[in-house]
Amino acid sequence: MPRWGMAADLDRCTGCGACVVACHAENNISTVGAEQAAVGRAKHWLRVERYWEGDFPDVRLKFRPVMCQQCDNAPCEPVCPTYASHHTDEGLNAQVYNRCIGTRYCANACPYNVRFFDFFNPSWEKPLQLQLNPDVSLREVGVMEKCTFCVQRIKGVQIQARAEDREVGDGEIQPACVQSCGARALVFGDLEDPESLVSRLSRSPRGSKLLEDLGTQPKVNYLSRQSQV
Amino acid sequence: MNAQRPTPNAQRAVYGLYPDGQAAQQAFNRLRAAGVATSDITVITAQPMEDFEFGNLDKATWMWWFACLGGLIGMSVGLGLSWLTETSWPLNVGGLPIFAWWPNLIIIFELTMLGAISATAVTLVVSALLPSRGRTLYDPEVTDGKILIGVENPPDGAIPDLEKTLGAPPGARVKTV
Amino acid sequence: MSHPTGARINSDLLRPLFQTSWRFFLLVAIFGGIVGLGLVTWMAQVYRGYGVTGIRWPVYWGFYITSFVFWIGISHAGTLISAILRLVNAGWRRPVTRCAEVITVFALMIGALFPIIHLGRPWLAFWLFPYPSERLIWPNFRSPLVWDFFAINTYLVGSVLFLLLPIIPDFAVVRDKSTGLRRKIYGALALGWRGTPKQWHRLETAIQIMAVAIIPVAVSVHTVVSFDFSMAPVPMWNTTIFGPYFVAGAIFSGIAGLLIAMAVLRKFLHLEDYLHPVHFENLGKLLLVMALLWGYFVFNERLVTYYGNEPAEMAVFWRTQQESFAPLYWTMVIGNFVLPLILMGIRRFRTITGCVIASIGVIVGMWLERFLIIVPSLGHKYLPYSFGIYRPTPTEIIIAGATFAAMTLLYVLFAKFVPIISIWELKAGEHPSPTLVPPATEEQLGELHL
Repeated sequence: MPRWGMAADLDRCTGCGACVVACHAENNISTVGAEQAAVGRAKHWLRVERYWEGDFPDVRLKFRPVMCQQCDNAPCEPVCPTYASHHTDEGLNAQVYNRCIGTRYCANACPYNVRFFDFFNPSWEKPLQLQLNPDVSLREVGVMEKCTFCVQRIKGVQIQARAEDREVGDGEIQPACVQSCGARALVFGDLEDPESLVSRLSRSPRGSKLLEDLGTQPKVNYLSRQSQV
Repeated sequence: MNAQRPTPNAQRAVYGLYPDGQAAQQAFNRLRAAGVATSDITVITAQPMEDFEFGNLDKATWMWWFACLGGLIGMSVGLGLSWLTETSWPLNVGGLPIFAWWPNLIIIFELTMLGAISATAVTLVVSALLPSRGRTLYDPEVTDGKILIGVENPPDGAIPDLEKTLGAPPGARVKTV
Repeated sequence: MSHPTGARINSDLLRPLFQTSWRFFLLVAIFGGIVGLGLVTWMAQVYRGYGVTGIRWPVYWGFYITSFVFWIGISHAGTLISAILRLVNAGWRRPVTRCAEVITVFALMIGALFPIIHLGRPWLAFWLFPYPSERLIWPNFRSPLVWDFFAINTYLVGSVLFLLLPIIPDFAVVRDKSTGLRRKIYGALALGWRGTPKQWHRLETAIQIMAVAIIPVAVSVHTVVSFDFSMAPVPMWNTTIFGPYFVAGAIFSGIAGLLIAMAVLRKFLHLEDYLHPVHFENLGKLLLVMALLWGYFVFNERLVTYYGNEPAEMAVFWRTQQESFAPLYWTMVIGNFVLPLILMGIRRFRTITGCVIASIGVIVGMWLERFLIIVPSLGHKYLPYSFGIYRPTPTEIIIAGATFAAMTLLYVLFAKFVPIISIWELKAGEHPSPTLVPPATEEQLGELHL
């Protein structure tokens, strides 16, 4: 049984934001418009956080892409009244849109604030609706959504591999953000396989997890030369 | 607010209306002395009057036991609901065990109390509000503070004696329907 | 000081049922209008989408959850007064019990609406009910929101029964005093009540059992509501004090609500002979005790947080106490602590007017307390990049405000159709059971007649 995880190398990340755009495109995330974004309703499943370190002229810039950490001890899961947020056997935190009634408790419980609410029915200006991904469902108003590690791509590759009667290779599954990262800062793979790139990177001494002391057991490892920002 | 005619009863009854507890207690004692069984005497008051003997009839009740029974039923429902549904469709949420005692105790507790409360209400309706043994005697003057002591369905020959017995205490008004 | 007896009780307490003035219709029209406005606004929210509220990332709970916790808190009035005072056989409760129980039932109904109003997809709210669905899924019993559903419904059933059972004899009184259609309706509602000793005993036993049962339920209800917060790893939420803190706060706001309701009823229904200043004084002393208890809990919570010195928690700590939320915070402290202590602590001020002023302060303070628990914490969790603020929109303000009108409207309607003071319990005060009056205190018998 694979256990999916990611590694993000902060020393490689340039903050270009291509991953954010790719995520929007792959997962049919609608933009909300300037007004709603100003109010704080943008749905960036993956966001790039920007931090300044030090004073001028020794300023250093740090970028950190933050997406759902797929915590093994996710605080968002026990609190959902309809099991819309639950843990799969492959270690992913699944969000079942059809079960969600929109209590937003999961979003309050998430310490990383990576859960987003559909405040209005999504809309795309013509002809943008033509680029929607048929593998991903559209979410209606009132449901929660978040990064799924591109579960549609994971499943797609697994089905393909089974059809071809072979194992899934390391690096074969690439979520949209991983695929689009120009600096190859993001790595995705199976943490159960000790030889996979993501497992090796997770063992790196540069690695640490976000808000690890909260006990959520996140599965995204951030590699950085300094101690965690 | 008009006083109404007494509610017509299908059966016959002889009763007296008394202005206070002492007179009513006298009538009650006289009735018992005249040989009427306590279970045949009808007492009706506008409020519970436990400082008099006639207000302390029929105290024994199984209601507490029924409430406990209702609580047990509620507890089983709560336990069954949570255990059966959580083990039949096991879902991992936050690494918690499939059947976690702490959170399920809350559900079990609430359903226990719901069972106890519902059982109490049902017992009350069944034991007190459904007419028993066809007793339906009532007089709206009770609402004005009168106490009703009487006998329902007396044998015909006994009516004049009953009327005399009931009329003896001070302030009595005897009625026969 | 004693109240009227016998037939005078009947005529005084039944007067609101049989005499209707133009003021009643005016009140119903005004409050009904506001409630209607609230309903229309809610329909508009469902139609236009949840975005019409001020909720936003990361503050996903705001006015609605504040109001939810607030109204569930108010609903603890009836339990305290009715159940506890019945169990300790405090005679002065008699004119007060039904006022309190009515507040509980209506506050619960209003409070229970808010989990539906705040849902993203409220038309699916029935999924919280455990039924075998074709989706092969049951509610998640590990979720505090499902605990809320069970607890609130149990409390609602219990409170409704606790209110309705003692009304049955009073329905019989109304039946006897009325004619025509009204007589038929109340006759049906009286459920065959006659007034035999057996019925009185059963009724009193049932009330006794329910009083014993409803107290743990009430404690559990607001504890479970507090679990909505303490089960999430949010700074200043994940604390064990929330359970008792919320229960104490609920009883606190419940007493305040009861005092206001009693004062209004006394004025508008001319119940000066039944609700005496001593009733208000007694409840005012309870208000004082609860204010001190509230202060004790707040002191505990904040001192421990202060010494814990956890960065995320301290950020929220200062945010409420010194930074952007400070005006609201200190208003809350004045309303919940300073005002009740002065007005209820000094005997000269413990009048009916003083009680009402203190109670209004407590109502405002307790609403603010719920708001200040929710919003500052959610806006300032752990990652600085995701801090945010909250601004309520007119939609939320109207709906939250309309609930106050709904409460008033329901109360006015109730007082019109049911005697607001329990007639039989008032009369029963003159006939205490000998077991409750030991010989040594017989010379104090007069004090039982309140």
